[in-house]
Amino acid sequence: MLLLFVCLGFLSCEEVVDIDLNTAESKLVIDATIKNISYNCIRITKTTGYFEENIPFVDNAEVSIIDANGNNYNFEHSEQGLYCGEFLPEANIDYTLVVVYDNDVYSSTTQLVSTVEIDFIEQNNNGGFSGEDIEMKVFFSDPVEEDNFYFLEFESSDVNIFDARSDEFFDGNTIFFTFSDEKLEAGDEVNITLNGVNGSAYNYLFTLLQQTNSTNGPFGTQPATVRGNIVNETVPDDFPYGYFRISEVSAVNITVQ
Amino acid sequence: MKQTIFFLIFFCTIITADKAYTQEKFTISGTVKEASSNETVIGVNVIIPELQTGTVTNEYGFYSITIPEGNYDVTFSLLGFQSVTHNFEVDKDIKFNLSMEESTEMLDDVIITDDVERLDIDNPQMSVNALKIGTIKKMPVVLGETDVIKSILLLPGVTSGGEGAAGFNVRGGAADQNLILLDEATLYNSSHLFGFFSVFNPDAIKDLKLYKGGIPARYGGRISSVLDIYQKDGNRNKFEAMGGIGLVSSRLLIEGPIVKEKGSFLAGGRSSYAHLFLPLFDNDNIAYFYDLNTKFSYSLNDNNNLFLSGYFGRDVFEIMDNFNNSFGNTTLNLRWNHLFSNKLFSNLSAIYTDYYYGLELGFVGFEYVSGIQNFNLKYDLKHYLSDKLQLNYGFNSIYYSFNPGEITPTTEESGINALKLTNKFSWENAIYVDAEIEFKKLAIQAGLRLSSFNRLGQTELNIYENNNPVNYNHELKIYEKAIPIGTESFSRSETIKAFINLEPRLSVAYRLNEDASLKASYNRMSQYIHLISNTSSPTPFDVYAPSGKFIEPQLADQVAIGYSRNLNLFSLEVESFYKKIQNRLDYIDGADLIGNNAIERVVLSGEARAYGLEVLLKKNKGDLQGWFAYTLSKSEQRTSGRNAEEIGINNGKWYNTAWDKTHDIAITASYDLDEKWDFGASFIFQTGQPATFPNGKYVYNGMVIPSFEERNSSRLQSFHHLDISATLTPSKNKERRWQGEWVFSIYNVYNRMNAASITFRENEDRTRNEAVRLSIFGIIPAITYNFKF
Repeated sequence: MLLLFVCLGFLSCEEVVDIDLNTAESKLVIDATIKNISYNCIRITKTTGYFEENIPFVDNAEVSIIDANGNNYNFEHSEQGLYCGEFLPEANIDYTLVVVYDNDVYSSTTQLVSTVEIDFIEQNNNGGFSGEDIEMKVFFSDPVEEDNFYFLEFESSDVNIFDARSDEFFDGNTIFFTFSDEKLEAGDEVNITLNGVNGSAYNYLFTLLQQTNSTNGPFGTQPATVRGNIVNETVPDDFPYGYFRISEVSAVNITVQ
Repeated sequence: MKQTIFFLIFFCTIITADKAYTQEKFTISGTVKEASSNETVIGVNVIIPELQTGTVTNEYGFYSITIPEGNYDVTFSLLGFQSVTHNFEVDKDIKFNLSMEESTEMLDDVIITDDVERLDIDNPQMSVNALKIGTIKKMPVVLGETDVIKSILLLPGVTSGGEGAAGFNVRGGAADQNLILLDEATLYNSSHLFGFFSVFNPDAIKDLKLYKGGIPARYGGRISSVLDIYQKDGNRNKFEAMGGIGLVSSRLLIEGPIVKEKGSFLAGGRSSYAHLFLPLFDNDNIAYFYDLNTKFSYSLNDNNNLFLSGYFGRDVFEIMDNFNNSFGNTTLNLRWNHLFSNKLFSNLSAIYTDYYYGLELGFVGFEYVSGIQNFNLKYDLKHYLSDKLQLNYGFNSIYYSFNPGEITPTTEESGINALKLTNKFSWENAIYVDAEIEFKKLAIQAGLRLSSFNRLGQTELNIYENNNPVNYNHELKIYEKAIPIGTESFSRSETIKAFINLEPRLSVAYRLNEDASLKASYNRMSQYIHLISNTSSPTPFDVYAPSGKFIEPQLADQVAIGYSRNLNLFSLEVESFYKKIQNRLDYIDGADLIGNNAIERVVLSGEARAYGLEVLLKKNKGDLQGWFAYTLSKSEQRTSGRNAEEIGINNGKWYNTAWDKTHDIAITASYDLDEKWDFGASFIFQTGQPATFPNGKYVYNGMVIPSFEERNSSRLQSFHHLDISATLTPSKNKERRWQGEWVFSIYNVYNRMNAASITFRENEDRTRNEAVRLSIFGIIPAITYNFKF
């Protein structure tokens, strides 16, 4: 809808403007995205003013994951708020993330969510909305009769596209996701990652993606603060941003032809 | 219940009281028409000075007044027409049909009907604005296109989401809370091209009235306002054509007699030029709209008139073969006016309305269709019992069929499954009675409407644990969709859930002196269908959902008080209102509304309130006419938690609605310089639209995510623009049949870059965040040529 709106190009005009924004009190952000690989990292940062250029990071937190059998995996701070450690998740086991920072204990529990393989990728040089951009179609087969949720990441040096989908409209089909961007060029290295996520992670990511380009005005949806699944056990009202998920991933690296 | 009894007693008393005095009285009745076209005239004042009494012609030009035996002068007057005074020897019932001549010095120059030269201070009806199409045509508008909705935005208490926002907001109400009637048929979407134009062809329209409060009992089904628009019947005397050629669209309307003086037709079409909006893109884009208005009217005899009218409008967008979108309203409407006697006027309407939305996405390979259809049977009677008492009563029955969406794959390789969201059905009924009474200095309009809504059977209605479709996650403090524990199916004739509401309406006017009166009103309204939209202005994509097992009807109570005064050349109206709305839907965070078969899982019921002060100062006489309108108001909503533990939406706090405009100033003026030139100007100022701005940012998974302040706690810049127009009527018009005029206009004279939206995003090279303002219209000159022959 918005796209059409902007298309009324000869009348409308976009301009970067200065707007004074309030800055809320800084909050903790825990980006705990664990994949089915043996070495994983968790990033802990803080919120900052919307127009600030640098993201403040936290280097003095204690970070660990405890599984249902009582095994404890520690994550040590390496750089820039990144805490890394040896950790390979297994299916059907509850994992609890525990972060201690500034005397507050933050925690969240989840399980590994499986996903399917990417079948193949098709390139189309007359794609996108304008019909002139390079377009990559990522095909995979959705399992029948179960609710599946996907989070897709498409990354090159210039382009970063994310998409969250539920299989509500394509249950059991071979389906494709389309990525296109005018900045894509032949020779670009592209990483495409399909993450398996559960229903609540999907809701979280879907809502988050809605917020990344927030538009006010007639066709804007009401933006909102997106709460993740990590709880501050010490001061429940002072909840952190971010999310704890464990995803099986299916990744492909290709070069744009 | 108490209210019902009160009203019943009230009606019995006045009816019997009336009986006691009706002996020795006779009735003058008839229809007032315009001489040149035989078009019926609405709102003509029929006044008997000697008795200090009078009446007004109704929507079909009919009047009836019952007075004691005697000899009286009766004056028929309406601004823009030559007044007629006729002497009657009233010793029997008299039938008197009148043809009124338009005033010679002006052609279309009619301003505000309700207060013909002076405000009708005796009329208890308040919070109503009536506009003649002639007035609307004089207002300067964007791209030179006369526009009904844009003109009502100049009235106090009426705002919109800004340029390019569809719909309008009345007294802090939402856009879907307006009842929009075209020849008594309900329209679901009032705009073309996302609000740039309204769906009404100005040439086909005769009259409109906007009720903002004190809404009479004959209207129901929406809780904020009623916009009642009447189309012309068509010229019964001679064939006539009129039209206009503009920068954006052209229109043509033909009308004429079928059987001279008995029947007439009217057919009008309007279309914007395809490709107009998107020529700068080198690919194949099309965006246009068109609409067709048709009407036949036929007088069977003096007591019976038939009208058949239809409207068909569509918007079409096509972007290459990838994107095909079309949507619009269709209405078909048959009406029968019947006079049971010279005191009892009736109108029976059978109306079909259809709203269609279709979208085809070629690059994904599916087609989406949604819509709403209704069949409406309406019977309205106006009973002119005496010069002091008029009763209006009738019933209304509407059958709805909702198609919330159907997805069909369009190509073999499309990965999309066919999906049909469950159709929903409902039946809305209402009966009403309404009395207009005069007691010396007091005039009262009191009415009662009894409305009911039956949500009829459907398949696949979800069942939830504890009947609760939305779960609250106590740990994370978020609302989540509940998982259905099963589904149930009902036959179409079964009622899943029924609602009954009693809607009292009361308006009172007290005449302080010859020139001033005090007015007060109360109305309760109920609305059984909800527009499912979480954008601040409606989009054509939005679907309506009926009330039912999980969604309660919206209820509004409004009180208003007002003061009206005539001041020689001017009239002044000051009104203050307070409105309270129950069961206003709000959406949980991350609600997905598209293709959602169970909307109840993402909505919570909240409340809304609005209050304000409106001032309207008008000048209705002389070469310079126009008005100044100012509104100070507040519109808020709140969705608290359903119990003490839940946080609700926006932490359960009141927040500004997206259409809350603290200050709203509108000035419009027209100046009649000489026979050749007319000038118009209008200025509008509104407090900026409420918006939710980021109050921080963070990084998650490589994405920069804004965090947000409380809902709608900031505002876009204030919105204002000045528009001017000049109309040139060549002097050679007089001698010939072809009448032409040139309209030159400039919208937004001082090129104000009003913000339609502010987008917060990462800049191009992804190094920092920026705020981007989108402005839609800068200064826009336009020229339109209108003709008539």
